[in-house]
Amino acid sequence: MRVSTQGSYLSGLTAMQRLQAALDQTQRQISSGRRILKPSDDPIAASRSLELRESIGRLSQFDRNAGIATNRLAQEESALTSVNDVLQRVRELALQANNATQSNESRGQIAVELRQLLDNLVQLANQKDGSGRYMFAGNLDEVVPVTRSGSGFQYNGDQGQRLIQIGQSRQVADGDPGSDVFFRVRNGNGLFSLAPAAGNTGSGILNGGSVVDPTAWVPDQYTVTFTAPDTYEVRDSSAALVSSGAWQSGDNIRFNGIEFGIQGAPGVGDAFSVGPSVYQDVFTTVERLAAAVASTVTDDNSRASMSNGINAGLVNIDQAIGNILDIRTQVGSRLAVIEKQVDTNSAFSLTLEETLAGIEDLDYAEALSRLSLQATTLEAAQQSFVRTQQLSLFNFL
Amino acid sequence: MADILNTSLSGMRAFQRALEVTSHNIANANTPGYSRQVAEFTTREGQGTGNGFVGTGTQIATVKRIYDAILGEQLQNSTTGLARFETLAGLSGRVDSLLADPNTGLNDGLQSFFNAVQDLANDPASVPTRQALLGEAEGLAGRFRALDARLGEVDAEVNDRIRLAVDDINRLAEAIADVNDKITLTAGIGQPPNDLLDERDRLVLALSEQVSVSTVMQDDGAMNVFIGSGQSLVVGANARTLGTAGGEFDPTRTVVNYVGTAGTTPLDTSLTGGTLGGLLDFRANLLDPARQSLGQTALAFASSFNEQHMSGMDLRGNLGAEFFSVSDPLSLYSASNTGTGLADVTISDTSAFTGADYMLSFDGAAYSLTRSDSGQAVALTGSGTPADPFVADGLSIEVSGAPVAGDRVMIRSGSGLAGSIQTLIADPQNVAMAAPTRSSVSLANTGNASITPARVIDSSDPNLLDPAVIEFTGPATYSINGAGAFAYVEGSPIVVNGSEVTISGGPGVGDQFTVEANFGAGGDNSNGLILAGIQGIGVLEGGSISINENYGRLVSGVGSATRQAQSNAAAQGVLVTNAQDEVLATSAVNLDEEAAKLVRFQQAYQAVAQVVSVASTLFDSLLNATRR
Repeated sequence: MRVSTQGSYLSGLTAMQRLQAALDQTQRQISSGRRILKPSDDPIAASRSLELRESIGRLSQFDRNAGIATNRLAQEESALTSVNDVLQRVRELALQANNATQSNESRGQIAVELRQLLDNLVQLANQKDGSGRYMFAGNLDEVVPVTRSGSGFQYNGDQGQRLIQIGQSRQVADGDPGSDVFFRVRNGNGLFSLAPAAGNTGSGILNGGSVVDPTAWVPDQYTVTFTAPDTYEVRDSSAALVSSGAWQSGDNIRFNGIEFGIQGAPGVGDAFSVGPSVYQDVFTTVERLAAAVASTVTDDNSRASMSNGINAGLVNIDQAIGNILDIRTQVGSRLAVIEKQVDTNSAFSLTLEETLAGIEDLDYAEALSRLSLQATTLEAAQQSFVRTQQLSLFNFL
Repeated sequence: MADILNTSLSGMRAFQRALEVTSHNIANANTPGYSRQVAEFTTREGQGTGNGFVGTGTQIATVKRIYDAILGEQLQNSTTGLARFETLAGLSGRVDSLLADPNTGLNDGLQSFFNAVQDLANDPASVPTRQALLGEAEGLAGRFRALDARLGEVDAEVNDRIRLAVDDINRLAEAIADVNDKITLTAGIGQPPNDLLDERDRLVLALSEQVSVSTVMQDDGAMNVFIGSGQSLVVGANARTLGTAGGEFDPTRTVVNYVGTAGTTPLDTSLTGGTLGGLLDFRANLLDPARQSLGQTALAFASSFNEQHMSGMDLRGNLGAEFFSVSDPLSLYSASNTGTGLADVTISDTSAFTGADYMLSFDGAAYSLTRSDSGQAVALTGSGTPADPFVADGLSIEVSGAPVAGDRVMIRSGSGLAGSIQTLIADPQNVAMAAPTRSSVSLANTGNASITPARVIDSSDPNLLDPAVIEFTGPATYSINGAGAFAYVEGSPIVVNGSEVTISGGPGVGDQFTVEANFGAGGDNSNGLILAGIQGIGVLEGGSISINENYGRLVSGVGSATRQAQSNAAAQGVLVTNAQDEVLATSAVNLDEEAAKLVRFQQAYQAVAQVVSVASTLFDSLLNATRR
């Protein structure tokens, strides 16, 4: 084949340029550590790597969210522990006050401590979190959640619960509204509650109360009235007779699937009400307990009324403690869920990072050997170019 | 004796000529497009004598250029292809890097924006976090605008380069016509004007770098050049011109026109190959769709975020306002419209929105719509009035004025929308992270029924923010605000004032549940969580494609187009190299060959000169013999 001078020059040049371009690409891959420098280098891998990066970015955001939720729940947990401690102390004091050896004066001192504990409880309910917002106000976290209103306590927050996104399709609450923690506590035993009528003259003391057959229970306001010192009758809210019978101190009264005991000597006409349990906030419970403890005992009747007050208070405090325990359990399980989710997220994230590295990252061993091969080829091309270009017949003319 | 002198003289003349040709070849060894020339020797006619014919020497019949027209055409064709793909690959590569670069692309912007939404959802009342979200929103809107602006710059550059290419084409056409003229003038001489022919081939090759051409030889040696779908660019010594002008619909878009005897005709679609073909191809098949897709992404993002934001409540207790603004699609009217018809286009359905260009045509009785990129007709529903606008592909079109048959409107639905995105929320308090309504259980309830958080299903309900009390008047009957007696079905949704709640469990008679405006709920992030979720949900194409996916599609689409253009350019480059190698092998000068010829003709010349010396000696001998 005929070779022209220009042709041999150009073909040498083109070959060197092509080798240089390939060398340059390899060199840039090596200096960046990435196989794909532009999407056009591998469009499918490039779009896959965009997706992977998005997923990795979201996972790391979920981790950040989880951290925040964990902090908040830990704060709540510690607040709930304090609430529980206070309620346990209240319970101890109530038991102490119920002891027959206590004098009016010593019970007065116990009542003073109970009132301090009540203030303490209100403070705990109104405490702020790390960012200065009320922890137990639901979403209305700029208003003081618990305030006194007349003789009772009022909840000013809402019942909202903030959720935090900790996984692709997993949200977890980062707190509980005060309504759930302090206000939505059933009084009595959770199904029904007992109370002596205001004008009782005898010394009947309500004792316990249990459910025998929950299916037989018909929620209504019942009144147990002693028609004689040893006879009682039970009427419902429309004064219809439900049950009646003979009674002596310590006997249980049983109707509609429930039973409770009365001790002492109720006066004729003394009444006790039995009604469905309603919500009673913890503060009211403690306040009523303090009032019962503080009441002055002068005779059997006033002692019975104090005992009834303390007994009711104890039952309600137990409900409150149970409620706090429930919420602490929920907080604990949320923390466990978060921990598990963080583990899942990080395992998933690791897998994604590995996949991404497989797509994007350079195989250095391959790239370096390619580089040296390309460099050798270029060098050879340069040498042969110089050699062939030197050859000319004119050199011999 | 005179015969010998004459004969050697002819040889001396011929070898001198041949040496001239050789020195011309050597001188042009590096001239691009030069075809080596060869002097063709023939014997002179012999002189008839009684002893037979005696030769009278040699002559140069012609100086021929070594050129293979078929190889030349191959080179032209592959050059046209290479120029097209290189232009395409170069421009696409820039769009490609622009879209995928973490600093300019959308992905990082979208990610940080949605991270900021989540951060705020974690701490919805925090003003600094709200401020951070606004900063990210502005950053993201800025990225959308910058991307669109960069694509706009590329578009402007394409316009400039089209004008330059057309100028080049016109200049080359003029030059070819000029050379044609010179060549036809030399026709009378009967010898090929080699260097002019080379010049013309060079010009045609340069022309085919700009646009694909076909050539036809005329009998008088002139070459006619045709472009596009057979429009003549050069006929003999006359060159026609191409013109550039603003588009029929968009004066800022440069289009190529053919300026013929019968007026100007648009050429855009029929021009292929070369730089110009590459530019037009890039604009129609990569840049326009990229801007449309970017606009579609911007719109999908802004409208889905707005919609959710407007279903939330801000820190001031107001329903959320529009967070981002995006302009409406553009209506571009044909310059040749004679009527006064107007079309007002808005986007009514994000999930059906395509971002493509559409042509709205009026045939004298009715409007019809065609999608420009596919040429497919799109069915219009509605009547075009403000009360009942035309609806097609997520667009809502209101027409007015008096159109005339043949009037056309181009609807540029998505292109450029990304450049118009702005954040409208400036006050951090106005970010709506809370749900507009909340539900609560009365603390005096005796039953154990619970209520789900209120979910707004109709944020346009006029009574949305009015309180409503759901009260159980019986174990399975409830009233709303004291009115009605509705049957309670556990777990089935109850809608009050545009909010939906679900009550489950056993309510006691007299139990109350309240649904009311969520005023003051700074800690509520319900709307924020849904806003953050927009990142992952499908909002386009009937809800199957998310914002990120749509952008990912754009990136990979441009990436594959670029890759394809690059590999085509590489393949075409090999073809060009091969064609060029062949052309060079045939036509280009080999200096060794010329050196050898130099030696050969020099020796021949010396030999002939020696013959003259012999003739002279012969003559001297004769003179000496007759002197005595």
